Amino acid sequence: MTLATRDELLDDLRGIVGPAGLLTSPDELLVYECDGFSVARGTPRAVAFPTTTEQVAACVKTLRKHGVGIVPRGSGTGLAGGCVAFDGQVILCTSRMTKIESIDLADRVAVAQAGALNVTLSEAVAAEVARWNQNHAELPVGPMHFSPDPSSQRASTVGGNAATNAGGINTLKHGVTSNHVLGVEFVLPDGEIVRTRTAALYESPGPDLTGLLCGSEGTLGILTKVWCRLTPKPEHFRTVYTVYTLTFDACKSVSDVIAAGILPTSMEVMDGRMIRVVEDAFHYGFPTDAAALLLIEIDGVDSILDEQLERIMAICRANGARDIKHCSDPKRRTELWSARKRAFGAIGRLHTAYFTQDACIPRSRLPEAVERIVAIGAEHGLKINNVFHAGDGNVHPIFFFDESNAQEVQRTLEAAERVLQYCIDIGGTITGEHGVGVEKLAMMPRMFNPATIDTFQKLKATFDPDAVLNDGKLIPSKTLRIELHRPVSPNVPGGALCPPHHPPTT
Amino acid sequence: MPPTVTIHEPADLFALIQAAQRSRVPLCHYGVAHTGLGHRPPERHTAFQLAGEVMEHYERDFTARVHAGATIGAIQKALSAASQFLPIDADDDLTLGEVIDHNVYGPLRVGYGTMRDLLLGLHYADGLGRDIHVGGRVVKNVAGYDVTKLLVGAMGELGVVHEAFVRTYAIPSEVLGVTLEVDGAASVDGFVTPLLTSPAKPVWLHLTEEDGTLRLGLAYYGSSLANTAQFEALKSVIGQASGMKIVASRAMTLAEDAAERATRRGRRRQARTLVKIIVPPASTGEAWEALRQSAWGSQLRIDALPAHGVLWVGGDITADSAFNQAVTDMARRFDGVRVWHTRPDAGSEFEPIAPLPPDWAMLLAIKKTMDPHGLLNPGRTLVGEVVPT
Repeated sequence: MTLATRDELLDDLRGIVGPAGLLTSPDELLVYECDGFSVARGTPRAVAFPTTTEQVAACVKTLRKHGVGIVPRGSGTGLAGGCVAFDGQVILCTSRMTKIESIDLADRVAVAQAGALNVTLSEAVAAEVARWNQNHAELPVGPMHFSPDPSSQRASTVGGNAATNAGGINTLKHGVTSNHVLGVEFVLPDGEIVRTRTAALYESPGPDLTGLLCGSEGTLGILTKVWCRLTPKPEHFRTVYTVYTLTFDACKSVSDVIAAGILPTSMEVMDGRMIRVVEDAFHYGFPTDAAALLLIEIDGVDSILDEQLERIMAICRANGARDIKHCSDPKRRTELWSARKRAFGAIGRLHTAYFTQDACIPRSRLPEAVERIVAIGAEHGLKINNVFHAGDGNVHPIFFFDESNAQEVQRTLEAAERVLQYCIDIGGTITGEHGVGVEKLAMMPRMFNPATIDTFQKLKATFDPDAVLNDGKLIPSKTLRIELHRPVSPNVPGGALCPPHHPPTT
Repeated sequence: MPPTVTIHEPADLFALIQAAQRSRVPLCHYGVAHTGLGHRPPERHTAFQLAGEVMEHYERDFTARVHAGATIGAIQKALSAASQFLPIDADDDLTLGEVIDHNVYGPLRVGYGTMRDLLLGLHYADGLGRDIHVGGRVVKNVAGYDVTKLLVGAMGELGVVHEAFVRTYAIPSEVLGVTLEVDGAASVDGFVTPLLTSPAKPVWLHLTEEDGTLRLGLAYYGSSLANTAQFEALKSVIGQASGMKIVASRAMTLAEDAAERATRRGRRRQARTLVKIIVPPASTGEAWEALRQSAWGSQLRIDALPAHGVLWVGGDITADSAFNQAVTDMARRFDGVRVWHTRPDAGSEFEPIAPLPPDWAMLLAIKKTMDPHGLLNPGRTLVGEVVPT
């Protein structure tokens, strides 16, 4: 690509999104070189900010005309390198497509542009409920919301949630994002706009294209609009806070609660190392000598929650919980969940380089699995913290490393790979909610048989025959090789790009 | 008509498809309750069905691995040994594969969702006779494309599911069934969202008509204490609504509740004509009343899922082109869609689905990708040219 061509490209993009809608200077682009998986880094050629679906389509056509690869991005809160641009690709960032087009309480559907923030949507729904009830005092509706609640929900977008099929703390009872998406609008790599819904319908006959697009990580189309199912927002809770001397016992409690047929809203475990990190940062009063803290929440009809609460506490007690507290006080509850959601922020105070694994395993295997994961870390000389969605079996071991030490980066990636292989071996998956991105690309052939990988590649080719849309993410690319184990430069160990003209690492 | 081939092992399924590739004789499997859905099979074809059972029940995980050929009746029986069940409204003689292929659901969707929400993973044979594994056994999984969801409702046109991983749930200690009498169908439209967002949210909701009286049936699953609390909450909501009154309530077992739901469904299966109309939920009652006011109004048997905008319309009537046009227009009027399920025509006169969903061209392209030789239920619904994009 010549410089003249590049200038022409940027001029064309500016013509679509305006001068303020295009970033090209190196200092501005620095922000977009990685997401939450900082091992994978790449600098985009430019970042464009369309504000309408038509602008997205026009940008796509322009980029195709210039033969430039496209990387869709929302807020960039992903944790698998799914929105990192390599090889001169341009990022199309939907974060300025923030319009909430409609909130239809009677049908319980909201339509939002892809860049609307998750939390903003639920706030707008709450306001609409209040307005509705002023006019319908005789038969009011209860609180509603868009249920998916990733820890990033204050920053992440509805489109990003759908594109990665984001999970969160409440998914144990209330489901992941795709359970709450009724339809999507997306732009194909040739600029065509496709919708899977045109009205507030809860079913569309035929194969479920909406389901396929959810979690496709921007590799099939660029999501521009989402039809979101609105569900009742729980109003009554009980939150149980239990402390253990052994992590195994906390995990056994989780497994036993599930096995008893109780379905809490959430069950979250923090191990001892994580408790200390959070306590040092925020001073919630957690016992720093504990091996594990288990937070369990139930929601539902107020008058029956205490019955469930007693059953849960009995199970925790039987599994050796050394301290059990519960609360229904909203203030204390908010504090407890704030501690959980701020766990990653607390880590950021201590370490600049870490990444979070995301395997999911059968819940009955949780106690042994967590012990094994810690052991694998130790075998590689690594410290691993654990904070995870225990009720789903979704483990999040956090690996710390020194990014200036290439050998340590290598060792960390090897340990992470062993953890994932172990999880596959016991019937689990390599990713429960973060997605494959580039982080877990190498594990895909271990997770799926060759015919399944071939099916994924053919599906990709059906939507994107020239492999221009987020190429190299989710499934191995035939044209772009991204190699995490090799330094791109002495200053950036890991996260290297090996385009086809470079000899691939074996 | 050639006999139906029964497949017991996945290897036999792969061999059957590979043989079909060589002979170019397509394979058809419409199930036992969906033979009227879509165009009729081509004259020359091999009909097949799958047999099977529950393979593994991971009781402590509340999941199960099931042959797609296992019947719903057999699955429920196996799960009940551990006091668990698969919360789906489907007749006992349907296989799990048929339920997945046709996205079968009913009133229980309010509390438990559809197969889209209950399925964790699939093993299926593609149009080349290859064994494809998507999703898995765990309850959260975003590895690879979600082909599991893509196949729900795909009517066996993209692949033949032979094994599935599903979520299971605890059998409730008690079911409390409640019947409301409703003054008019349209009054339900404004009632559903307040009900579903209140502490009285039921696990199922079904609008029916008996002897000219509209009845809204609903149920609560839980302990006796919990059900009583929800019933009290229901009384409070009803007290605020107009045109509704509670006429019956009954505590029962899940088996009794399942039998009642099956009886309601059974009427549909006996209908000479049956079409499903999907509209925005808050238009369900309005669509019901519009159907009643149509030329066929007094002859129609209608039941509806008001929480999800689904109306089942049929009865002992002749499904002629005028009726087809009327129900199609009705769907369009509400920005909805209608799907033929049982029709006494030759199976080729009416389009099976109208209006076609906006993503249909993309679905046709996917059909070509997953079944390149057009061997799996060819011509059923995914027919037409792929428009180049």
